[in-house]
Amino acid sequence: MDVDQRGFRVALVADELVNPAAGGTDALEVLRAEDWGVIQLPPAWYPADVAAPLLEQTAEHVEEFARHGYQLVLIGHRQGLEDALRHAGLELPDAVQPNSADELRAFLQARPPADAALVRGEIS
Amino acid sequence: MARIAFVAHCLLNQNSKVAGGAVCPGVYSPLVDELRARGWQLMQMPCPEMTFTGLNRFWAVREQYDTVAHRRHCRRIVEPLAGAMAAHLERGDEVVVIGVEGSPSMGVRITSSDPARGGRPEWADGAPELAPGQGIFLEELLAAVAERGVPAPRAIGVTESLPDHDQDAQTTQLATFLEQ
Repeated sequence: MDVDQRGFRVALVADELVNPAAGGTDALEVLRAEDWGVIQLPPAWYPADVAAPLLEQTAEHVEEFARHGYQLVLIGHRQGLEDALRHAGLELPDAVQPNSADELRAFLQARPPADAALVRGEIS
Repeated sequence: MARIAFVAHCLLNQNSKVAGGAVCPGVYSPLVDELRARGWQLMQMPCPEMTFTGLNRFWAVREQYDTVAHRRHCRRIVEPLAGAMAAHLERGDEVVVIGVEGSPSMGVRITSSDPARGGRPEWADGAPELAPGQGIFLEELLAAVAERGVPAPRAIGVTESLPDHDQDAQTTQLATFLEQ
């Protein structure tokens, strides 16, 4: 198998923290420095008939990562996410609403490392 | 007017890659750097492969994904995506698509093809499979956009998965594309 560098850690991230306004918290910058992958949540202004199926797809991604033991967290908030996850039999992961990049970094650094057996390829 | 780049899922989340395909732990930084430096916002597309065949899928070529069931899956997931693109365009935003060259799903100009592939794996590592063309998801996405009467977005693929990947050349191509 080729060398695979995945980190086995995935953050669900509110759109406004992926594309922050000037002066806003830039979660994407922190997450890539801390080696987390990102699942971006739909922007709050999207029409319901667009956002609802996108959130359903988010839940499908989360379900696959969760059943393989990947770490999941939620950064920020997105209305409708909890219902979409519940519909897939999932709960909201541990969450943070960061007021700064430092606060987010501290939250991520306090998380346990990725499952060592996953990283070693002993389970998948 | 905002500039919105709809990017392949794995470019923000390498954890979705087929085993052996992740080139970094999470976010593919070269693309994010280029987009942000030029004032583009990111919008992540779903991963059609992971949500169809899961994290333990085999490496596959386009023909193996070109099935009725996978096309149906892609059509389901591109519908809200096409709606999102239409919503951005109605606001006056500029929209582009950024795929992954060499991917059976996300290829823009280069996909992977081997009509003979199937059954018990027996091909050697590095067996030729790159071929001109789009991936299945890209085809379905552009079809869904066209059905809505929305102008087709410009599209480009990053080359990080290609054996002859040249980071400098990719950066130049991205810069030219993003400034058009």
